[in-house]
This record gives sequence, structure tokens and C-alpha cells, in this order.
Amino acid sequence: MIEKPPSPRLKTSFLAVFLIGLQIFFVAVLLAANVVAERAPGRLIDQAIANVKPTGAPGEEFAPGTLGAIRLPAPFCCAQTPVIVRTTLTAADAATPDLALLIPSAHDNALVYVDGELIGGAGAPSTETNTSRRPQLVRIPPRYAREGAVIDVSVQRAIGFAHLRPLSLGRYDALYPSYLALRLLRSDLPFINAVVAAFIAVFCVCAAPLLGARGLLLSLAGLAASWLLQHVWILVTDPPWSALTHTLLYLIGFLGAVLFLVWFFIEWTSAFEPPERAAQKPSDLLLHPWSASARQRLGIATAGLVALGAGLMLWRLNVGEEMIAIQDIDRVLGFLGLVAMAFCLLRLVTHILRGGMREPIEMASFLVVVLSAIADIVMVRFFSSYGVLLGVAAAFFPLALMVSLAGRARGVFEAATANAERLNALVAEREREIVANLEELQRRERATLLLEERARIMRDMHDGIGGQLLGLVLQAKANKLSGESLVQGLEESLADLRVIVDSLEQGDGSLATVLGAFRARIEPRVEAAGAQLIWEIGDVGETSGFGPDRALQLYRILQEACTNALKHGRPDRIAVTLARNDTGHIELSLSDNGHGFDPTHARGGRGLSNMRYRAERIGAQLRVASSGAGTRVSLQL
Amino acid sequence: MSARVALIEDDPILREAVTRTISLAPDLEFVAAAETAAAGRALLDTPMEVLLIDLALPDGSGIDLIREASARFPNLKIIVVSIFGDASSVVNAIEAGAHGYLLKSADPGEAADAIRAVLTGGAPISPAVAGHILARIRGRASVSPAASTPLLSDKEVAILTELSKGFRYKEVARLHGISPNTVGDHVKSIYRKLAVNSRSEAVFEAVQAGIIQLKD
Repeated sequence: MIEKPPSPRLKTSFLAVFLIGLQIFFVAVLLAANVVAERAPGRLIDQAIANVKPTGAPGEEFAPGTLGAIRLPAPFCCAQTPVIVRTTLTAADAATPDLALLIPSAHDNALVYVDGELIGGAGAPSTETNTSRRPQLVRIPPRYAREGAVIDVSVQRAIGFAHLRPLSLGRYDALYPSYLALRLLRSDLPFINAVVAAFIAVFCVCAAPLLGARGLLLSLAGLAASWLLQHVWILVTDPPWSALTHTLLYLIGFLGAVLFLVWFFIEWTSAFEPPERAAQKPSDLLLHPWSASARQRLGIATAGLVALGAGLMLWRLNVGEEMIAIQDIDRVLGFLGLVAMAFCLLRLVTHILRGGMREPIEMASFLVVVLSAIADIVMVRFFSSYGVLLGVAAAFFPLALMVSLAGRARGVFEAATANAERLNALVAEREREIVANLEELQRRERATLLLEERARIMRDMHDGIGGQLLGLVLQAKANKLSGESLVQGLEESLADLRVIVDSLEQGDGSLATVLGAFRARIEPRVEAAGAQLIWEIGDVGETSGFGPDRALQLYRILQEACTNALKHGRPDRIAVTLARNDTGHIELSLSDNGHGFDPTHARGGRGLSNMRYRAERIGAQLRVASSGAGTRVSLQL
Repeated sequence: MSARVALIEDDPILREAVTRTISLAPDLEFVAAAETAAAGRALLDTPMEVLLIDLALPDGSGIDLIREASARFPNLKIIVVSIFGDASSVVNAIEAGAHGYLLKSADPGEAADAIRAVLTGGAPISPAVAGHILARIRGRASVSPAASTPLLSDKEVAILTELSKGFRYKEVARLHGISPNTVGDHVKSIYRKLAVNSRSEAVFEAVQAGIIQLKD
């Protein structure tokens, strides 16, 4: 009994549970990091005064005007000159040992001054294109840490959302975990996301022609490529292209992510269930599965829309003030993103309503992704805050997808295996049928052969022994049978039966052996007639294929020839010779030294014609030559 | 001392005829007769020198009985009785351990002659039987050409070939420049080899099939 392998369903469940556990762990770590990052201990500085360099210089009194009191996070628009944000240390700050300033988000070239003295900072100074944002944790030397000391943070201004968020002042050790969490979220996570996105994009492009769901994989590839573009954008600190191009790239990445995500969700909610109706109403585009051809057109349209969007953005950027244009585009994209996410959410919900939670892992992660995207867009657009939820959600999006694809692949594989097994069973059954048919055929063939053989033997019996026995019976009934002739008749019958049996003996099937068996049949008769049998069976080479029929015809011809010789010629010698003649043919002859007969009008005419008939049947040529010196009957085979 | 002969034959007329012939022969002594293979098996313990067995017994093939008798009594001369002397069954009997065969014939003298021939070490062989043995040997060679040693020597095969063509011992002896007795010796050797080979094949097959367990 073969042990059944563990059910694949069980294995899949294990894998799913494992991956869900991994996701939950991952999300928990990221959320914890986010909480730690957002809740930095120490004094939060969200009120400050700001001025634009070079109107004001670090440490000096700001001239009134330019910016004045601000509230962080603050969007500085739209010039790209550095801005100085100023605050002062309190008595509590001054009393804090190992005082440090945490800048959660500023351009990489943010510089920190205390009372006009530069005490920390990083990045290339005053690079206009430097739009990436990293956290900084700057120690304030103890000699500067006094009440009333002026802290200036000089940062590059930028387009779009608030790049300077509330600062924190506190003990270095206390702020350090928040700094680490920020670094993970702003720097390490984008790197991981970029790598994962690159992997997914390459994988999907390669796998699309192989697997069935081509549109699904291509849309995912597009989504991953957009995702990759966005994260590479975050990671690049000093791009070699202009600030405008850099911004444009980000916006294209955003647009691509939105559009490809829409395509992806339409694919996902359509690919695995057939459209309900052939002809689709406009409302179906919103709620129901799309047909394969419609989705194919959608794929082309999506790529076209991204290109068109990029073109539109480029056009808008070249009309009027760049910064205003970027703000406009940003707003439009934010709105578009919200609409798109709402659409995706609607499709997901209707998909779930149609079929229930068929793929709980994927559906859960998709919902989280869509909701996170909505939340992030809202946060960024309307609250000038950081959106980290999508980053968290996107981190386990590929994992969920892996589980889903593995499950589906497993399903396909199982179906294929089941199919193969069915086919194997079918083939085996057909094979059995064929074998059975073949056996039946062979059986019939054998039966036919047996019937033919039986018919032949019956015929032979009828020709010889049957006639003889019948003759004996008729003679005996007529009281014309002496005891002596009865014995003779019976002996002849027995002899004939023996000849038939001899002919059935196959031996090695050679002519020489066929003849050898016959010697015992004629020698007693020859000797009884007072003659001597000379047996000259030469070596004539390979002569196989003498079956019972040919053997019996041969025997009957020799018997007849022998009978004739003994009856008519009264010889004292009879020779049976097998040899090759002058022409290279095999020749079998029976010759005697009797006084011969005239073959043209012989009394044994019927015997002769019989012999000729039999010779013809075995494909041999019969020659009879007779003279006063004897008779020679020869067969050329 | 006259040779003791037993007969296993189901045909009463033939049994009667053979029994009478043997009883009349001064150098032969008839000791027992049986009609079936089962009765024949019981009869094996009777002391005797010659056993005549009909192959077509009503309760089974005489071949098994020959095999048993030849295994239990190696010195017993076993002669097969057959109407037509059909070669394949005769060769089967030889392989089972028979020493000769006898054609059922109307001439009672022939039976006594055949028994005497076997007793004096003669080995009768008909052309058909010789041809059959040749065919079997060739068949075996074609099945396993790599079979370590050929069953029969070249000389034996040559003699069998001549015999299969219908030549008598004397004629074969003349053709090969040897004495007729030597021809007889070769034929006996062929008989022995066939029987031994058949036995060893049977043992081999039995070991393969797990019927016999060889101790190491």
C-alpha cells in the first residue's frame, strides 16, 4: 500500500499562514518604526520664525518682512533659495545633558547654526536639484547650550509639499531611536521597495508570455516599474538632470502608479471570472468583469495614458511660471489618484460581493494598499504631512501576490496533473483494449490456421487412409476379403497414417530431415520386394521451410514413384538421391534398374498425372525418364 | 539372469500383446503391468531392469512418471512406447530420462528386439527424433547465443545431422570413418546430455522460482 503524499491543499495552507505571519510581523515592525519616528521625545518645535537667505544671515536679527512667524510643517513655495528657520533654546533645553536637534525631514543640505556658528549639516550645499529628504540628528555642543541661544536651520526650499517638518530638541540618546526609525522609513525602506519593484517588474515581463494571465502580469510590471521610478527618485540625492526634469520624473512615476494600479485591479477582478454578458454596458466598466479583448485594449490605453499624461505635464510646465505649473499638476494628480483609488476600491468591493472572500490574503492586502494610498494622498495633499502607509502596505503587497500566484500555479499544476493522470488512465485503457484486440486477432488467426491445417489433414486422410479403409469395409461386406488381404489393407492404412504423422513432424524443417523420416516408410517395402534401397542424401545446403503440406506431397510423390518402380520394373535396386544438379538446382530423384516402361502411354497414367499435380503444388518440376535400363523420376525443386 | 520388465499401458490389446511377447522371450521376464500413471507409480518399487511406458496415459502424461522413475532408479532402463513415435514427445521423454523408444507395431518381435537393444547399451534414434533434437539445440542457441558451453559437441551435432537425413548407424560410421559402436556411444552421450541438461535446467528454474532453497 503506497502512502499518499500530504494533500497539496494542506501545504498551500501552511505556506499561506506562514506568509501571512511574515506580513503581519513586517507590518508590525514598520508601524512600530513609524510610531517611534513620529513620537520623538523631547521638545517639539512647530512654531518658528523664518526668513529667506541672503536677506537674513544665520545668527543675525531678521529684518522684518519676508516670511515672519510660521507653523511647521510649512510648504515654502516656490523659489529655491534657502530658508532660515529660527527658534531659541529654553532654560529646560539648556539644562538637558547632551542636547541634540532632530530634523525628521529636510533637504539633505540642511545646515544647523547656533548663535551664527555652523555646528552641523550634510549634503551638497545649495544644490537646487537636491530634493531628497533624509533625517538628521545634530549634537549641540555644551558650550552653546544656554538659555536664549538662537538655533537656525537653513534648508533649501522646494516645490510641493512641506519639506520641513516640526523639529525636536532633546537628549541625544532619547532622540536616537526616532532617528533610526526615520532612517529606516526614509532611506532603507525605499531601497528595499526599489529592489522588490525591480524584481517584480523583471519577473512579470519575463513570465507574461509563459503564464496565462498576461494582462495581469503586464499591468503588475507597469505598476512595479512606476513604483521603482518613485523610489529611485527618492534615493537619488544629486541627480545629473535639472530640478524640473527631476520633478517631472516623480510626477510621471506617480501617474504611472495610479494608472497601472487601476489596470491591475481591473485585470485582477476580471481575469479569473468570465464576463457575465457578451455586450457590456458602460456601468459594467465600473462594476463587472471586463472581457479579455476589452482588457487588452485597456492595457494599450494605460501605456498611452501615461505617455499622454507625461506630454501634458511637459506642456503645462512650459506654459507660464514653472512653480505654479508644478503646483497645478500636483493638485490634478492628487485628485486623479483619489478618484482612481476610489474606483479600485469599488471594483474590489464588488468583486468580493460577487464571489465572497475567495482569495482572502490577496484581497486583504489589496484593500490595505488601496486604503493606504487614499490615506497617504489625503495626508499629503490636505494636511501637508508625510504619507507612510502606502510604503508599509506596498511592502507586503508582493508577498500577498506571491502567495496568490503560488496558489494559482498550484491549482493549474494540480489540474494539469489530474489531467495527465486521466490521460494516462485513458491511454492505459486503450492499450489494454488494443492488446486485447490484438490477442483476439491473433487467436482468430491461429484459429484460422488451425482450421486450414485441419481441413488439409482431413483432405489428406480422405485421399489416402479414408479411401483405403472404405474399400476394405466394402470388400469385407461383399465377403470378397481374405484374411491376408485384410491384414495387408490395414497395414497399408497404418502406413499411410504414419506418413501423414511424419509429414506433421517439423523437426528442423529441412528437406534432408523430411526425407530422413521417410526412409523408414519405404525401406521395408523395397526390401519386401527383394530390392535394395540405396540412400544418397547429399549436403545441399540450407533448405528450410518444408512444412507439413510440402512434406506430405513429397512423400506421396516418392511413394507413387516407388510403387510404380516395384510394380512395373521389377528392379533389384532402388536409389533415392538428393543433390544439386548441373544447373545448380536441388534435385530429388528416385531411380531403379528395372526394365522400364513407356511414360507416354503408361498403364499407371493416373499415378503419373497425380504426381505431376502434386509436384506443381509444391512448385517443383517433375521429370520421368524410362528406358530398358531402368526408370528415373526426378523432382527439380 | 533374465531381465525383469514392467509395462505401463492403458490399451488392453497392446498390453496383452507385449506381455505375451516378453513372457515368451527366454531372456526377458515379465514382472508387472499397470494401466494408469498412478498405478505405475506404485509399481516403481517392484525390482526390475526395464520399464516400458506409454506416453498417453488416461490420468496424465507419462513424462512425469519417467522423470520420477529416472530420478529414483538411475540404473532402470526406461523405454517409451508410442504408436507413431512422434518426435517431439519422444525427445521430451529423452529429456525426462528415457533411454529409448518403441513403436507400437503389429510385429511382437520388435518389442523384444528394442528391449534387448537398450539393455545391451544400444540407443535407437529415428531421423525425425534426430531432426527434432537438432532443431531444439538450434532454438536454444538462438535464444541465448552467449550460453557458456554448447550442449552438444560438434562431432555429436554432425552425427545427429547425418542420422536426421535417414542414414543408418553403419552408413554414418562409414561416412565418418568410425565404428558403428562409436556412433551408438555418441547417441547415448547425446541422450545423457539432454537428460542432464533438462534436469539442471529444471533445478535452475526451481531455484529461480524459489521452489528449491540452496544452502550455502
